[in-house]
Amino acid sequence: MAGIYVHIPFCKRKCRYCDFISFADTSGEDLYFVALISEMRRYAPLMREREFDTVFIGGGTPTVLQQGRLAALMDELRRDFNISPEAEITVEANPESASEEKLRELFASGVNRLSMGLQSASDAELSAIGRIHTREDFLRALEAARKAGFTNVNADVMHGLPGQTGESYLETLRLVTELGLPHISSYALILEEGTPLHADVEAGRVTLPDPDETADMEDAGFAFLAQKGYERYEISNFSKPGFACRHNLNYWDNGEYLGLGLNSHSALRIRGDWTRFNNTDRLAEYVRELGEGKLPVRDTRRIERDEEMFESVMLGLRKTDGVERAAFHRRFGVDPVEQYAPAAAELEADGMLVVTEERMYLTKRGLDFQNEALIKFMEQ
Amino acid sequence: MAFPKELIRNFSIIAHIDHGKSTLADRLMQLTQTVAERDMEEQLLDSMDIERERGITIKSTAVRMFYTAKDGREYMLNLIDTPGHVDFTYEVSRALAACEGAVLVVDATQGIEAQTLANVYLALDNDLEIIPVINKIDLVSADPENAIHEIEDIIGLPAEDAPQISAKTGLNVQDVLERIVSDIPAPKGDPDAPLKALIFDSLYDNYMGALSYVRVVEGTVRPGDRIRFMHSGNEFDVTEVGVFDPRRLPVKELTAGEVGYISASIKSVAETKVGDTITLASNPAKEPLHGYKQANPMVFCGIYPADGADYEALKEALDKLVLNDASISYEPETSQALGYGFRCGFLGLLHMEIAEERLEREFDLDLVTTAPSVIYRVIMLDGSVRMIDNPSNLPSPMEIQRMEEPMVSAHIMTPPEYVGSIMELCQEKRGLFIDMTYLEENRVKLTYRMPLNEIIFDFFDGLKSRSRGYASFDYELGEYEESDLVKLDFLLNGDMCDALSTIVHRDKAYAKGRAVAEKLQEVIPRQQFEIPIQAAIGGKIIARETVRAVRKDVLAKCYGGDITRKKKLLEKQKEGKKRMRQVGTVSVPSDAFMSVLRIN
Repeated sequence: MAGIYVHIPFCKRKCRYCDFISFADTSGEDLYFVALISEMRRYAPLMREREFDTVFIGGGTPTVLQQGRLAALMDELRRDFNISPEAEITVEANPESASEEKLRELFASGVNRLSMGLQSASDAELSAIGRIHTREDFLRALEAARKAGFTNVNADVMHGLPGQTGESYLETLRLVTELGLPHISSYALILEEGTPLHADVEAGRVTLPDPDETADMEDAGFAFLAQKGYERYEISNFSKPGFACRHNLNYWDNGEYLGLGLNSHSALRIRGDWTRFNNTDRLAEYVRELGEGKLPVRDTRRIERDEEMFESVMLGLRKTDGVERAAFHRRFGVDPVEQYAPAAAELEADGMLVVTEERMYLTKRGLDFQNEALIKFMEQ
Repeated sequence: MAFPKELIRNFSIIAHIDHGKSTLADRLMQLTQTVAERDMEEQLLDSMDIERERGITIKSTAVRMFYTAKDGREYMLNLIDTPGHVDFTYEVSRALAACEGAVLVVDATQGIEAQTLANVYLALDNDLEIIPVINKIDLVSADPENAIHEIEDIIGLPAEDAPQISAKTGLNVQDVLERIVSDIPAPKGDPDAPLKALIFDSLYDNYMGALSYVRVVEGTVRPGDRIRFMHSGNEFDVTEVGVFDPRRLPVKELTAGEVGYISASIKSVAETKVGDTITLASNPAKEPLHGYKQANPMVFCGIYPADGADYEALKEALDKLVLNDASISYEPETSQALGYGFRCGFLGLLHMEIAEERLEREFDLDLVTTAPSVIYRVIMLDGSVRMIDNPSNLPSPMEIQRMEEPMVSAHIMTPPEYVGSIMELCQEKRGLFIDMTYLEENRVKLTYRMPLNEIIFDFFDGLKSRSRGYASFDYELGEYEESDLVKLDFLLNGDMCDALSTIVHRDKAYAKGRAVAEKLQEVIPRQQFEIPIQAAIGGKIIARETVRAVRKDVLAKCYGGDITRKKKLLEKQKEGKKRMRQVGTVSVPSDAFMSVLRIN
């Protein structure tokens, strides 16, 4: 398994909680696009041996790009990389820019999965976090997507938002389940330093639900999703059978991926070494270096075997079915339960971890306290 | 060839913190070309970082300057810089004893403060000639007339013709030099008499060992002499004598009236005690100079490495620190909560804080410090007496007949408008009102008899905040007094945390127990289970708080393929955990032990 991630760092407006690299000024779009194409062409000869099973075009808001751009991007990807005919190809879309025309363009170019940023079905909550769409916009965009041919659609929703209650969160979940979406990602809001929301909260202008309220919300919401037939397959991700996101599963299986675009991250086995690197997070540098024929790569590091093993556990335990022992053994020549015997035993005794013949995975409590569980593995 | 004694002047500068002592010293060195302009670092005498940052002097230093006065003669001026804090009163008194005169610097914007007064009295005790100087007259808020007034009224020194200067700009500083030459008497003493050299400070040098900073009162000392420390009786061979210009400069001899250092390959400053008299083994003086006393630690606390693995590093750091400061005591102790560490004794609270800061900065250690304690006298049922400096070692109340605590006389100087709230503070701190006098219209002196254990916590902070920084404070140690003291313990999830135990007066135990429990509730992070926090006297619970259980501890977000960011967050959390101490089942952050020191 291997995936490609393409970052589109533009939005109509930046949301108040967002700390991803993205710009509300789209004047750089043309230059960026040229640079992105040359980046793909630079990688093309290096990636000949690999087959890619997933593509994820994220952002930012990929659907803000001019009509035709995403189709051109898809063409270029297929020209430069060996993308499997069965590949899962996802594009992130926000309701305000997901026009019927663009959605048709996407579907026609082979995109087969759409990830829609809904966040909340309450207009008051949406405006509190600086989203520029309404519940109605979302419904309209979804209808357009379906008309265009999309069936595999995800909605991102959030809990722990300013002004949100357990009831309003359930209302959001009710909406997406009733609409029959096969995939739901429900993230707890993380207040990131440097964001406007963080400043508002620090200054007392905005109040967030306290952690206990948010925990109550989450527990009730996740129970509701289970009751509606959605399987929690990762800490924040739910799907109907067969609709788990393969691109993200590849991350959690600690698989290979190539990141393209500004500040994108890559993990590849290069001449036997597990290697991670990322692109610059400065738009000007990205454009300039690619213009000069250089890859704008930063922070290349070889991951030692111990660290690679820990990463596999850290990522694998995000999934509810955890780390597959045989796969781990194939990769590292050692069984993970043996490798991490003291940590595993302690967590098992504590009711946080379950070990079976095939796998080790975290219980509900283990998932709730995943950080503490991982620190145990890390300390060992 | 010895410098003519009648042309030597030995003097000190007395000033309150921030009144400009070090700046004046710098200016004097500049005017006498002791330090070249380009070498001039601001406040050259205060060489330790901490001293510079806090604007105070911890160690005495000395510097020799040459000055050609208006009378055309060249004088040798030895400036002995003194520590400026109540904790170091004894060091100050010895430094002053090495001088014939003192320059009293008074800030024209502030007037006289309690500590200035205390040092003036020390100077008068040593029969020093005092030259008042009004500083900071360049500031808009300067009121030199008032400062003159205060010097005359409060101290009783004529100050009408006191130099009015700005040490910062250099204005009129030359007048100070002239007054030093004209007013301060030349040293007396016979260069041929048996040697008597007063140690007013000592310093540890990595290459030369412990150096004694001395004022030669009688006689002469040269390299090769065998010297004897009259109080300890230990003898050493002198390898070098020298003066400060202000860097060390070896000379052939130091003779009566001069100030300098003696090096004799001594391993620790514990051998070169401030106040001791050095004489020659071959021709000893009959009597040592008077005034020697052992400086005893007054305030004790437990010092532990934040990371238990650093115990050895902490031990080495303390060994080195004590090489330079013999007034610190330390011995190993063990705490259930904090593991292996040391019980350390200090002259006072500031001394303690400075030592902690030096350990952390100069030795790059992360420390956990327990609440400071004084030494309690515990009279047991059988009449025997135990001195207790660690609350954990207090015997069971069943075995105790009575307890006594050390008292101090606290002198507070303040503008009259703050008297009310300061008296309230002293009352809260179990102070017994002794006296209130108007030193002059705008300055009141309050005297209270207070338990030392009330002063070592947050008395100084309270005083400053209640007087908007205008009140100043000084104390001297008194007798032990019987007191109704109890040991206040704290339990976390049912387990006693020895590092949090304190000894308090029974009347204050409830309030303190509640306050600390509340503070702990704030600083102990929520854990997977609910944590009851209890304050107890004996077996009796007097306050209770609860840290609710945390519900989730997980990174919800994906961060795309940015695994590193996720890992960094985990690393950070792990580091935070490493700084936690395990008390029974409860993880307590290291700084919790210190944050409970600062309540209210």
